[in-house]
Amino acid sequence: MTKENVQGAGEEEQQAQSKKALKKQQKEAEKAAKKAEKQAKLAAEQQEAEEDDFAKDRYGVCPMVQSQQKLDRALVRVQDLTPEKAEQQIWVRARIHTSRAKGKQCFLVLRHQQFTVQALLAVGDRASKQMVKFAANLTKESIIDVEAVVKKVEQKIESCSQQDVELHVERIFVISQSEARLPLQLEDAVRPEGEGDEEGRATVNQDTRLDNRVIDLRTTTSQAIFRLQSGVCQLFRDTLINKGFVEIQTPKIISAASEGGANVFTVSYFKTSAYLAQSPQLYKQMCICADFDKVFCVGPVFRAEDSNTHRHLTEFVGLDIEMAFNYHYHEVIDSITDTMVQIFKGLRDRFQTEIQTVNKQYPSEPFKFLEPTLRLEYKEAVAMLRAAGVEMGDEEDLSTPNEKLLGRIVKEKYDTDFYVLDKYPLAVRPFYTMPDPSNPKYSNSYDMFMRGEEILSGAQRVHDAQLLTERAMHHAIDLEKIKAYIDSFRYGAPPHAGGGIGLERVTMLYLGLHNVRQTSMFPRDPKRLTP
Amino acid sequence: MALRELSSLEKFLGLKKPNKYSTQGGKKVPVLQNNNGPALIGLVTIASHLVREAKRPELLGDRAERRAVVQQWLEHRVTRLDNCSKEEVKVILKDLNQYLEDKVYLAGNVFTLADILMYYGIHHIVMELAVQEKERYLNITRWFDHIQHYPGVRHHLPPVAVLRNRVYPSGHH
Repeated sequence: MTKENVQGAGEEEQQAQSKKALKKQQKEAEKAAKKAEKQAKLAAEQQEAEEDDFAKDRYGVCPMVQSQQKLDRALVRVQDLTPEKAEQQIWVRARIHTSRAKGKQCFLVLRHQQFTVQALLAVGDRASKQMVKFAANLTKESIIDVEAVVKKVEQKIESCSQQDVELHVERIFVISQSEARLPLQLEDAVRPEGEGDEEGRATVNQDTRLDNRVIDLRTTTSQAIFRLQSGVCQLFRDTLINKGFVEIQTPKIISAASEGGANVFTVSYFKTSAYLAQSPQLYKQMCICADFDKVFCVGPVFRAEDSNTHRHLTEFVGLDIEMAFNYHYHEVIDSITDTMVQIFKGLRDRFQTEIQTVNKQYPSEPFKFLEPTLRLEYKEAVAMLRAAGVEMGDEEDLSTPNEKLLGRIVKEKYDTDFYVLDKYPLAVRPFYTMPDPSNPKYSNSYDMFMRGEEILSGAQRVHDAQLLTERAMHHAIDLEKIKAYIDSFRYGAPPHAGGGIGLERVTMLYLGLHNVRQTSMFPRDPKRLTP
Repeated sequence: MALRELSSLEKFLGLKKPNKYSTQGGKKVPVLQNNNGPALIGLVTIASHLVREAKRPELLGDRAERRAVVQQWLEHRVTRLDNCSKEEVKVILKDLNQYLEDKVYLAGNVFTLADILMYYGIHHIVMELAVQEKERYLNITRWFDHIQHYPGVRHHLPPVAVLRNRVYPSGHH
């Protein structure tokens, strides 16, 4: 009885289930049929549309450029798109900075380096509906070739660098497609600090920028910074070569640390170890002893200091100068400061666009300097700091905050962002520094400052093997290790002085930026080895 | 600390014979044993007494309102400024700087006991300020420099260096 009951109930259940299942199947079949119908309809529509598309030869994705043809086609640079080119039909290669579709129109902002121009694609006799749709769906940062007519605009286009013209697109081809999702948005990366907070918009922090450096380098600010930095190098070279200097190349793999072993990188060198040069110091001095008279050197310099500050890198580009002089090392100071002034003038005169571009994101006062350059003695600086309430000893080195404060006081008093501090205490300088003849506590050494931060450290070097040995012993340096260096001075060595500048620091301080990583293309610091 | 302050105040007031003070409790509240009356307790009470003894009542304010202002700042000194935390210091400096914007002295145009005691009380704070901060609290620095050069006030305290020119561009704070 009970069993039957259960069985009956089970049958009923089964029946109900199969009924349900049947219904379900039916429904699904209906759905699938509908879907297929829809798809077929869509495909048909698409086909129809494609067949209908009169402009289908005017757009598309280009096959990969593998150099299969030499097109006789001149590509105009975006920066050259000016009203003079109005009504001309031209080809442009650029990136898609932004695209915005609006009904039958599509607005594109095309970018090449730090220049942008507006392009317009509208349904008409030149472009079809499909073509506009294609343009609107292009991913940001894709590289495209565009044929267009340059048109003058009535109202300036404020958001672009080329404000007086726009492009009326007739053909558009993709040369390289970008992935849809970018690791960072270029607009976010150029937003001035603080401005984003007010509008509730994002800014990109430094680590994200550096992790995606290739994209970050595309921003107008980065483009301007590194163009200006290239200018610093060029002006440095041009000025020195005009002064009769010789450019030298020195080895970066060296057998002994030049100033003590603590802060150099050790590399394995076959069966022994070697070091990465922390400055070309020894080699430029040897070149002086070899009668090259005036030498300079542009190359990488390595510092194994574990300091994570806004102005330290483990590898940077050093601009080094060494020069023989006649009677007084001030001849060398004058030569170096004049070189710096030539660089500042060159940047001011030739890189105004770049300076202004950087200032848009990082506002700073224009860089000021005097001619001839202001030279202060260390004692005077200490007195100025004491007058401001800083307590420090006569022979104490300048701390970073004091350096900056001194920079502010000097700026207030002399209105210059660049000055030389001369006659440092001997105790705080390396062993090869020439002592001051009138006061053995001081030395013939100097630092140069930009916006209150040190950019160059230099001195008259000891060119007498005897005195050099004495000074090395005073500093408890193992004479065996620097034998080759001391021996260089035994066979007649002219009096000489020099100094080394960090390229990244000069660029940073000239532009009034706050972190040296901003002016290093692929920065290396204790925590960063990639990209 | 308070005791040295009181002896400096005595010298400023030109009182011939120095008083003997003791302290009371963990906070070392100064106590003055008065010959012809009960003991006087507390910095402000004793300081006011000394002023009267030196027959310089104008230092407590020559009019009723000014007397009230002086009392207010004397109270501010012992209740807010003394033993305040680092966060409080910032607020105190900011408020005082704003208050002094259109005043030479705390009570307006006349020098009072409030200036002396606020100067003594704030000295260790101003001493520690960096040049940039001194410039940020420009009005305090101006008032402070003025008081430390007021004849006879400074006594036991070291002078604080003050730059007369602004060295930091305004708006960079």
